[in-house]
Amino acid sequence: MNFRNLFQSALDYVSERIPVEKMNFEAMVAKKEVPLHRLSWAYYMGGLALFFLLVQVVTGLMLLFYYQPTVSDAHASVEYITEHVAGGALIRNMHAWASSAMIFCVIAHLLTAFAMKAFDKPREITWITGVLLLLITFGFGFTGYLLPWHQIAVNATKIGMQSIEQIGQYLPGQMALWPKMVKEIVQGEASVGQATLSRFYAIHVILLPLSVAGVLGLHLLAIQLHGMSRGIDEAPRRHEKFFPFFVIKDLTVWSVAFLCLFVIALCLPFESLYSYPLFEPFNPKGSTPDGIKPEWYFYFVYYPLEILPFWVILLGSNLVLAILFLAPWLFKGTSRKTLRLLAIAAALYMIVMTVFGEHIYHLFKGTH
Amino acid sequence: MNFRFFLQLTVTIGLAGAFGLSSAFGYPEYQMFIVKHSKKSVNCAMCHANPDGPDGNAAGQIGGLTPEELNRLSQARAAFEPGKEVDSPILNEFGNHIIKNIGRTKFIELRNSPQHLAEMLDPKSDLDNDGISDAQEFLEGSHPLMKTDGNPWSLFKTNFQRNLPQILLICVATLAGIYGLIHLLRGFAIVVEEPQEDE
Repeated sequence: MNFRNLFQSALDYVSERIPVEKMNFEAMVAKKEVPLHRLSWAYYMGGLALFFLLVQVVTGLMLLFYYQPTVSDAHASVEYITEHVAGGALIRNMHAWASSAMIFCVIAHLLTAFAMKAFDKPREITWITGVLLLLITFGFGFTGYLLPWHQIAVNATKIGMQSIEQIGQYLPGQMALWPKMVKEIVQGEASVGQATLSRFYAIHVILLPLSVAGVLGLHLLAIQLHGMSRGIDEAPRRHEKFFPFFVIKDLTVWSVAFLCLFVIALCLPFESLYSYPLFEPFNPKGSTPDGIKPEWYFYFVYYPLEILPFWVILLGSNLVLAILFLAPWLFKGTSRKTLRLLAIAAALYMIVMTVFGEHIYHLFKGTH
Repeated sequence: MNFRFFLQLTVTIGLAGAFGLSSAFGYPEYQMFIVKHSKKSVNCAMCHANPDGPDGNAAGQIGGLTPEELNRLSQARAAFEPGKEVDSPILNEFGNHIIKNIGRTKFIELRNSPQHLAEMLDPKSDLDNDGISDAQEFLEGSHPLMKTDGNPWSLFKTNFQRNLPQILLICVATLAGIYGLIHLLRGFAIVVEEPQEDE
């Protein structure tokens, strides 16, 4: 195969995945149809994740007006927002609850898309950008957790940073130093301090939002170009028009989600789910309170990390990540029934680790 | 002036020593009871000004007190009977509230049965106005001065009742908004489809 043929094949491959001839209102909106079947509810998960992302952007911008990214003022500024700014507690709670809701929806969207074989040709780009968005969402969660500069935030971040450095012991030669270098670059100083807060703040409010804008743009474009995947093995008997019927249903789901979020944010401070010492300002000279752990959406990695050797988790995480990225090629010939079973197994694992992870940990360690 | 200040300081330090400054410590029996009863981790910040307790030289700890604060500490330590105004610099509002309500003698007595402290407190007192009484917060291991800390379900019920008008308003506004938006989109859809029919 000469260079010209190779180039032509590559061009054909890309144009099949991004069909520019479909980039018009007719194809992307007016004539687009959504299949109707027993799994149609799953088509709303991505929209819900997008809705919670928009809430994050709006509430995050509002918080930016008052938040101070310095170790001396960060906690006080968050307290000021909660106690003295009109509607501050509501906005902060909405930001906190919506972040959890967004991550839940992104995970649910990924699992349902996997179960419905939504990565099948020609939707590989949609799938890969979706996996990237999942990682960016976790990045948002990890960096945002530090910003209030309270006990649980700083101490959990320290654990996270130590985990990065630990990777080095399993890498050969000079590569063993790379994780430490990455840790130093992100951390900015010997321990988690002002440089870390500044960097996490920059990553949280500039770097990750810009990345989301780019990757999400490509993800949404790919969805509009190819339409929703069929979702089931047999051909769907009914379809509905994307515009206006599916859009109207999507907006209705968004409004219900907004109402739920508003009521929860107004009535249930997210701190109430934890012990109060965890939300005291971080004091490097004071004692570390019990119960330091990451946010709930990291429990599926955190508790196994506490129980099993580090290399097992490292190997497992990299394997899962590789499988996720290569899913369109690895599961090309796999039936949707098998994929559904795999997705259910993954969902069960995540639910068990999130809800019972702490009990399992104590069971293994033989503590109370 | 200097002599007066020196005298004041000497008297204050003397009084503080008389009330056991040299062996100053909190009462960890209460903390141990709360942890066991509520199964939540709590620290000294529930009653004390400093989360690490009264020992030490930091703010809110005995070693870091000014002469004026030492004087207040001495007065607080003399509040053996209930009803006296207490303003100890090593205690927070809840700690001072306990001593004012039951007196220091009773508080020390209850160390052996800390579960009875909740019964001795005013059941209507709610210092942070979160809808959960201080006594209940003491038993549940939540902070009586933090309105965002408490039993999640109790907080939800209280806040829901308090914010019912706002919740109803936002429901009406959202429903009206989505109703208008749906009709707007249907209008757009009709406009988009019309030229096709003409063709």
